[in-house]
Amino acid sequence: MLRDLVIHENEAARIGQVLGSFLEESGASEALLIDRSGQLVASSGKTATFDTVSISALAAGAFSSTGAIAELLGETEFSVLFHQGVRESIHVSTVDGETILLAIFNDGTTVGMVRLFAKEACRAIGAVLAEARTQPRRVGALASPLSADETRSQIGPESR
Amino acid sequence: MSIINYAAKEINFKVVYYGPGVAGKTASLQHVHRSLPDGKKGKMISLATGDDRTIFFDFLPVSALTVRGFVTKFQLYTVPGQVFYNMTRKLVLRGVDGVVFVADSQFERLKENVESFRNLEENLREYNYDLDRMPCVMQYNKRDLPTAAPVPYLEYMLNRRARRMPSFESVASRGAGVFDALNTVSRMVLLSEFGQEQEVQRNAS
Repeated sequence: MLRDLVIHENEAARIGQVLGSFLEESGASEALLIDRSGQLVASSGKTATFDTVSISALAAGAFSSTGAIAELLGETEFSVLFHQGVRESIHVSTVDGETILLAIFNDGTTVGMVRLFAKEACRAIGAVLAEARTQPRRVGALASPLSADETRSQIGPESR
Repeated sequence: MSIINYAAKEINFKVVYYGPGVAGKTASLQHVHRSLPDGKKGKMISLATGDDRTIFFDFLPVSALTVRGFVTKFQLYTVPGQVFYNMTRKLVLRGVDGVVFVADSQFERLKENVESFRNLEENLREYNYDLDRMPCVMQYNKRDLPTAAPVPYLEYMLNRRARRMPSFESVASRGAGVFDALNTVSRMVLLSEFGQEQEVQRNAS
Protein backbone atom coordinates (compact mmCIF):
# COMPACT_ATOMS: atom_id res chain seq x y z
CA MET A 1 0.00 0.00 0.00
CA LEU A 2 1.30 3.45 -0.89
CA ARG A 3 1.58 5.66 2.13
CA ASP A 4 -0.09 9.03 2.34
CA LEU A 5 2.23 11.95 2.75
CA VAL A 6 2.05 14.81 5.24
CA ILE A 7 4.30 17.84 4.99
CA HIS A 8 4.37 19.97 8.13
CA GLU A 9 5.94 23.45 8.26
CA ASN A 10 9.21 22.06 9.60
CA GLU A 11 9.65 19.53 6.78
CA ALA A 12 8.55 22.08 4.17
CA ALA A 13 11.28 24.46 5.36
CA ARG A 14 13.95 21.74 5.38
CA ILE A 15 12.97 20.51 1.91
CA GLY A 16 12.99 24.13 0.71
CA GLN A 17 16.54 24.53 2.01
CA VAL A 18 17.77 21.35 0.31
CA LEU A 19 16.17 22.35 -3.00
CA GLY A 20 17.64 25.88 -2.71
CA SER A 21 21.18 24.55 -2.14
CA PHE A 22 20.72 22.05 -4.95
CA LEU A 23 19.83 24.82 -7.41
CA GLU A 24 22.76 26.92 -6.28
CA GLU A 25 25.33 24.14 -6.52
CA SER A 26 24.10 22.42 -9.67
CA GLY A 27 23.23 25.53 -11.67
CA ALA A 28 19.76 24.12 -12.48
CA SER A 29 16.95 26.65 -12.74
CA GLU A 30 14.04 24.69 -11.23
CA ALA A 31 13.68 21.80 -8.86
CA LEU A 32 10.40 19.94 -8.35
CA LEU A 33 9.82 17.26 -5.75
CA ILE A 34 7.09 15.03 -7.17
CA ASP A 35 5.09 12.22 -5.68
CA ARG A 36 5.06 9.18 -8.00
CA SER A 37 1.29 9.36 -8.24
CA GLY A 38 1.84 12.66 -10.11
CA GLN A 39 1.38 15.32 -7.45
CA LEU A 40 3.76 18.16 -6.81
CA VAL A 41 5.08 18.03 -3.23
CA ALA A 42 7.46 21.01 -3.22
CA SER A 43 9.27 23.22 -5.68
CA SER A 44 11.99 25.81 -5.83
CA GLY A 45 13.22 28.17 -8.51
CA LYS A 46 11.53 30.53 -10.93
CA THR A 47 8.49 28.28 -11.03
CA ALA A 48 6.17 31.06 -12.15
CA THR A 49 7.40 30.51 -15.69
CA PHE A 50 6.45 26.84 -15.95
CA ASP A 51 3.21 24.95 -15.42
CA THR A 52 4.63 22.85 -12.57
CA VAL A 53 1.37 20.98 -11.88
CA SER A 54 1.22 19.65 -15.45
CA ILE A 55 4.95 18.94 -15.52
CA SER A 56 4.58 16.91 -12.31
CA ALA A 57 1.76 14.75 -13.67
CA LEU A 58 3.57 14.13 -16.95
CA ALA A 59 6.98 13.50 -15.40
CA ALA A 60 5.53 11.01 -12.91
CA GLY A 61 3.81 9.28 -15.85
CA ALA A 62 7.03 9.21 -17.89
CA PHE A 63 9.05 7.99 -14.93
CA SER A 64 6.59 5.23 -14.11
CA SER A 65 6.33 4.10 -17.72
CA THR A 66 10.12 3.89 -18.12
CA GLY A 67 10.08 2.02 -14.81
CA ALA A 68 7.71 -0.48 -16.40
CA ILE A 69 10.09 -0.80 -19.36
CA ALA A 70 12.94 -1.42 -16.91
CA GLU A 71 10.96 -4.25 -15.36
CA LEU A 72 10.40 -5.79 -18.77
CA LEU A 73 14.19 -5.76 -19.19
CA GLY A 74 14.70 -7.42 -15.82
CA GLU A 75 15.82 -4.23 -14.05
CA THR A 76 14.15 -2.98 -10.88
CA GLU A 77 13.92 0.53 -12.33
CA PHE A 78 15.86 3.17 -14.24
CA SER A 79 16.90 5.44 -11.40
CA VAL A 80 17.65 8.42 -13.65
CA LEU A 81 15.80 9.90 -16.62
CA PHE A 82 17.29 12.61 -18.80
CA HIS A 83 15.63 14.51 -21.65
CA GLN A 84 17.66 16.98 -23.63
CA GLY A 85 16.06 19.95 -25.35
CA VAL A 86 17.47 22.76 -27.47
CA ARG A 87 17.28 25.25 -24.60
CA GLU A 88 15.84 23.46 -21.58
CA SER A 89 16.58 19.93 -20.41
CA ILE A 90 15.21 17.83 -17.58
CA HIS A 91 16.83 15.37 -15.24
CA VAL A 92 14.66 13.13 -13.07
CA SER A 93 16.01 10.94 -10.28
CA THR A 94 14.68 8.66 -7.57
CA VAL A 95 14.33 10.06 -4.05
CA ASP A 96 12.61 7.07 -2.48
CA GLY A 97 9.96 4.51 -3.39
CA GLU A 98 7.31 7.20 -3.56
CA THR A 99 8.95 10.40 -4.73
CA ILE A 100 11.18 11.70 -7.53
CA LEU A 101 13.21 14.86 -7.99
CA LEU A 102 12.97 16.72 -11.30
CA ALA A 103 15.49 19.39 -12.26
CA ILE A 104 15.07 21.76 -15.19
CA PHE A 105 18.31 23.23 -16.50
CA ASN A 106 19.74 24.96 -19.54
CA ASP A 107 23.19 25.41 -21.05
CA GLY A 108 24.29 27.40 -17.99
CA THR A 109 25.29 24.04 -16.47
CA THR A 110 25.88 20.41 -17.50
CA VAL A 111 23.97 17.20 -16.98
CA GLY A 112 26.99 15.91 -15.03
CA MET A 113 26.74 18.73 -12.50
CA VAL A 114 23.00 18.26 -12.15
CA ARG A 115 23.38 14.52 -11.73
CA LEU A 116 26.11 14.92 -9.11
CA PHE A 117 24.21 17.33 -6.90
CA ALA A 118 20.82 15.68 -7.50
CA LYS A 119 22.19 12.53 -5.92
CA GLU A 120 23.10 14.44 -2.76
CA ALA A 121 19.80 16.33 -2.71
CA CYS A 122 17.82 13.11 -3.13
CA ARG A 123 19.57 11.57 -0.16
CA ALA A 124 18.90 14.61 2.03
CA ILE A 125 15.24 14.89 0.97
CA GLY A 126 14.76 11.15 1.43
CA ALA A 127 15.81 11.54 5.06
CA VAL A 128 13.35 14.42 5.61
CA LEU A 129 10.50 12.47 3.97
CA ALA A 130 11.25 9.38 6.04
CA GLU A 131 10.74 11.54 9.13
CA ALA A 132 7.67 13.19 7.62
CA ARG A 133 6.03 9.79 7.16
CA THR A 134 6.25 9.15 10.89
CA GLN A 135 4.50 12.43 11.76
CA PRO A 136 0.80 12.52 12.73
CA ARG A 137 -1.40 13.21 9.72
CA ARG A 138 -4.00 15.30 11.42
CA VAL A 139 -2.98 18.09 13.72
CA GLY A 140 -4.06 21.69 14.31
CA ALA A 141 -7.09 22.69 12.26
CA LEU A 142 -7.50 19.17 10.88
CA ALA A 143 -7.19 17.34 14.21
CA SER A 144 -10.91 16.77 14.75
CA PRO A 145 -13.08 14.98 12.18
CA LEU A 146 -14.86 17.13 9.62
CA SER A 147 -18.60 17.53 10.00
CA ALA A 148 -21.00 16.44 7.27
CA ASP A 149 -21.33 20.09 6.21
CA GLU A 150 -17.58 20.51 5.85
CA THR A 151 -17.25 17.49 3.60
CA ARG A 152 -19.85 18.82 1.19
CA SER A 153 -17.14 19.25 -1.41
CA GLN A 154 -18.39 20.92 -4.54
CA ILE A 155 -16.26 21.09 -7.65
CA GLY A 156 -18.93 22.18 -10.10
CA PRO A 157 -22.68 22.69 -10.58
CA GLU A 158 -24.90 19.61 -10.35
CA SER A 159 -27.60 18.79 -12.88
CA ARG A 160 -30.49 18.93 -10.47
CA MET B 1 -2.74 8.84 -2.07
CA SER B 2 -3.54 12.11 -0.42
CA ILE B 3 -0.92 14.71 0.34
CA ILE B 4 -1.58 17.11 3.19
CA ASN B 5 0.69 20.14 3.10
CA TYR B 6 0.41 22.15 6.31
CA ALA B 7 2.91 24.73 5.07
CA ALA B 8 1.06 25.47 1.80
CA LYS B 9 -2.35 24.83 3.44
CA GLU B 10 -3.31 22.40 0.70
CA ILE B 11 -4.79 18.93 0.54
CA ASN B 12 -4.32 17.01 -2.70
CA PHE B 13 -6.29 14.01 -3.89
CA LYS B 14 -6.25 11.89 -7.01
CA VAL B 15 -9.46 10.75 -8.71
CA VAL B 16 -9.36 8.37 -11.68
CA TYR B 17 -12.06 7.94 -14.34
CA TYR B 18 -12.08 4.25 -15.21
CA GLY B 19 -14.14 2.21 -17.66
CA PRO B 20 -14.13 0.53 -21.07
CA GLY B 21 -12.98 2.23 -24.28
CA VAL B 22 -15.22 4.95 -25.75
CA ALA B 23 -17.48 4.95 -22.68
CA GLY B 24 -17.07 8.70 -22.18
CA LYS B 25 -14.22 9.15 -19.70
CA THR B 26 -12.39 11.77 -21.72
CA ALA B 27 -15.71 13.42 -22.65
CA SER B 28 -16.53 13.70 -18.94
CA LEU B 29 -13.20 15.37 -18.20
CA GLN B 30 -13.66 17.70 -21.17
CA HIS B 31 -17.02 18.77 -19.80
CA VAL B 32 -15.48 19.49 -16.38
CA HIS B 33 -12.77 21.50 -18.09
CA ARG B 34 -15.26 23.48 -20.20
CA SER B 35 -17.54 24.23 -17.28
CA LEU B 36 -15.15 25.47 -14.62
CA PRO B 37 -13.87 29.04 -14.42
CA ASP B 38 -10.12 29.55 -14.87
CA GLY B 39 -9.49 30.05 -11.15
CA LYS B 40 -10.80 26.57 -10.34
CA LYS B 41 -9.00 24.54 -12.97
CA GLY B 42 -5.55 24.02 -14.44
CA LYS B 43 -4.57 23.01 -17.92
CA MET B 44 -6.12 19.86 -19.37
CA ILE B 45 -3.59 17.50 -20.89
CA SER B 46 -4.59 14.63 -23.18
CA LEU B 47 -2.12 11.97 -24.20
CA ALA B 48 -4.07 10.55 -27.11
CA THR B 49 -3.49 8.83 -30.44
CA GLY B 50 -4.17 10.58 -33.76
CA ASP B 51 -7.79 9.39 -33.70
CA ASP B 52 -8.38 10.82 -30.21
CA ARG B 53 -8.17 7.55 -28.31
CA THR B 54 -6.47 7.95 -24.94
CA ILE B 55 -3.09 6.24 -25.08
CA PHE B 56 -1.80 7.03 -21.56
CA PHE B 57 -4.08 9.41 -19.67
CA ASP B 58 -5.94 12.72 -19.64
CA PHE B 59 -5.14 14.99 -16.74
CA LEU B 60 -7.02 17.92 -15.26
CA PRO B 61 -6.30 19.55 -11.90
CA VAL B 62 -9.32 21.22 -10.23
CA SER B 63 -9.98 22.95 -6.93
CA ALA B 64 -12.93 22.30 -4.65
CA LEU B 65 -14.05 24.19 -1.56
CA THR B 66 -11.66 25.36 1.13
CA VAL B 67 -11.95 23.27 4.28
CA ARG B 68 -10.77 24.80 7.58
CA GLY B 69 -8.39 27.06 5.72
CA PHE B 70 -7.02 24.27 3.52
CA VAL B 71 -7.59 24.41 -0.23
CA THR B 72 -8.71 20.96 -1.38
CA LYS B 73 -7.44 20.06 -4.83
CA PHE B 74 -8.36 17.10 -6.96
CA GLN B 75 -6.18 15.80 -9.76
CA LEU B 76 -8.49 14.12 -12.24
CA TYR B 77 -7.12 11.40 -14.51
CA THR B 78 -8.63 9.10 -17.12
CA VAL B 79 -7.17 5.74 -18.10
CA PRO B 80 -6.98 4.31 -21.63
CA GLY B 81 -10.05 2.09 -21.92
CA GLN B 82 -8.81 -0.24 -24.61
CA VAL B 83 -8.12 -3.70 -23.22
CA PHE B 84 -4.52 -3.99 -24.43
CA TYR B 85 -3.38 -0.86 -22.57
CA ASN B 86 -3.59 -2.51 -19.17
CA MET B 87 -0.02 -1.72 -18.20
CA THR B 88 -0.51 2.02 -18.59
CA ARG B 89 -3.94 1.78 -16.95
CA LYS B 90 -2.32 0.26 -13.91
CA LEU B 91 0.31 3.02 -13.77
CA VAL B 92 -2.38 5.71 -13.74
CA LEU B 93 -4.09 4.05 -10.75
CA ARG B 94 -1.02 4.52 -8.60
CA GLY B 95 -1.93 6.55 -5.52
CA VAL B 96 -5.63 6.83 -6.41
CA ASP B 97 -7.99 8.19 -3.73
CA GLY B 98 -11.29 7.82 -5.56
CA VAL B 99 -12.74 6.30 -8.73
CA VAL B 100 -15.51 7.31 -11.13
CA PHE B 101 -16.41 4.22 -13.13
CA VAL B 102 -17.85 5.38 -16.46
CA ALA B 103 -19.97 2.60 -17.94
CA ASP B 104 -21.28 2.60 -21.50
CA SER B 105 -25.03 2.10 -21.08
CA GLN B 106 -25.56 0.40 -24.43
CA PHE B 107 -26.71 -3.24 -24.36
CA GLU B 108 -23.96 -4.25 -26.76
CA ARG B 109 -21.24 -2.90 -24.42
CA LEU B 110 -22.33 -4.71 -21.25
CA LYS B 111 -19.62 -7.34 -21.52
CA GLU B 112 -16.91 -4.67 -21.88
CA ASN B 113 -18.26 -2.85 -18.81
CA VAL B 114 -18.17 -5.97 -16.68
CA GLU B 115 -14.68 -6.86 -17.88
CA SER B 116 -13.40 -3.35 -17.23
CA PHE B 117 -14.88 -3.35 -13.74
CA ARG B 118 -13.18 -6.65 -12.96
CA ASN B 119 -9.98 -5.23 -14.37
CA LEU B 120 -10.30 -2.22 -12.06
CA GLU B 121 -10.63 -4.49 -9.06
CA GLU B 122 -7.63 -6.57 -10.13
CA ASN B 123 -5.44 -3.56 -10.78
CA LEU B 124 -6.38 -1.99 -7.45
CA ARG B 125 -5.51 -5.22 -5.72
CA GLU B 126 -2.02 -5.07 -7.18
CA TYR B 127 -1.50 -1.88 -5.19
CA ASN B 128 -3.14 -3.52 -2.15
CA TYR B 129 -6.18 -1.27 -2.51
CA ASP B 130 -9.55 -2.77 -1.66
CA LEU B 131 -12.35 -1.71 -4.01
CA ASP B 132 -14.84 -2.14 -1.17
CA ARG B 133 -13.03 0.54 0.84
CA MET B 134 -12.20 2.84 -2.07
CA PRO B 135 -14.51 5.84 -2.62
CA CYS B 136 -16.11 4.88 -5.94
CA VAL B 137 -19.17 6.01 -7.91
CA MET B 138 -20.87 4.62 -11.02
CA GLN B 139 -21.58 6.91 -13.93
CA TYR B 140 -23.92 5.30 -16.45
CA ASN B 141 -23.15 7.23 -19.58
CA LYS B 142 -24.85 7.62 -22.98
CA ARG B 143 -28.30 7.61 -21.42
CA ASP B 144 -29.60 9.52 -24.44
CA LEU B 145 -29.04 6.62 -26.84
CA PRO B 146 -32.03 4.44 -27.80
CA THR B 147 -29.82 1.37 -27.34
CA ALA B 148 -29.19 2.17 -23.67
CA ALA B 149 -30.06 -0.62 -21.23
CA PRO B 150 -32.40 0.26 -18.33
CA VAL B 151 -30.56 1.47 -15.22
CA PRO B 152 -31.83 -1.37 -12.96
CA TYR B 153 -30.30 -3.82 -15.43
CA LEU B 154 -26.95 -1.99 -15.36
CA GLU B 155 -27.13 -1.86 -11.58
CA TYR B 156 -27.69 -5.61 -11.51
CA MET B 157 -24.71 -6.21 -13.80
CA LEU B 158 -22.25 -3.76 -12.25
CA ASN B 159 -23.37 -2.60 -8.84
CA ARG B 160 -24.47 -5.44 -6.61
CA ARG B 161 -21.57 -5.72 -4.20
CA ALA B 162 -22.23 -5.69 -0.48
CA ARG B 163 -21.40 -1.99 -0.45
CA ARG B 164 -23.52 -0.43 -3.18
CA MET B 165 -21.88 2.48 -4.96
CA PRO B 166 -23.78 5.71 -5.57
CA SER B 167 -24.77 5.70 -9.25
CA PHE B 168 -25.59 8.47 -11.69
CA GLU B 169 -26.99 8.70 -15.19
CA SER B 170 -25.06 10.89 -17.58
CA VAL B 171 -24.78 12.20 -21.10
CA ALA B 172 -21.14 13.26 -21.00
CA SER B 173 -21.16 14.75 -24.51
CA ARG B 174 -23.46 17.50 -23.26
CA GLY B 175 -22.39 17.32 -19.64
CA ALA B 176 -25.55 16.05 -17.97
CA GLY B 177 -24.81 14.18 -14.74
CA VAL B 178 -21.02 14.56 -14.93
CA PHE B 179 -20.73 16.88 -11.92
CA ASP B 180 -23.23 14.84 -9.91
CA ALA B 181 -20.81 11.93 -10.05
CA LEU B 182 -17.68 14.03 -9.54
CA ASN B 183 -19.01 16.05 -6.60
CA THR B 184 -20.19 12.86 -4.92
CA VAL B 185 -16.89 11.04 -5.28
CA SER B 186 -15.02 14.12 -4.02
CA ARG B 187 -17.24 14.17 -0.91
CA MET B 188 -16.64 10.47 -0.38
CA VAL B 189 -12.89 11.00 -0.68
CA LEU B 190 -12.95 13.84 1.85
CA LEU B 191 -15.12 11.82 4.20
CA SER B 192 -12.95 8.76 3.91
CA GLU B 193 -9.86 10.83 4.76
CA PHE B 194 -11.21 13.28 7.31
CA GLY B 195 -14.68 12.14 8.34
CA GLN B 196 -15.94 10.82 11.63
CA GLU B 197 -15.95 7.20 10.53
CA GLN B 198 -12.29 7.34 9.64
CA GLU B 199 -11.50 8.72 13.06
CA VAL B 200 -13.34 5.87 14.72
CA GLN B 201 -11.45 3.35 12.59
CA ARG B 202 -8.10 4.92 13.41
CA ASN B 203 -8.81 4.94 17.13
CA ALA B 204 -9.91 1.34 17.05
CA SER B 205 -6.78 0.11 15.27
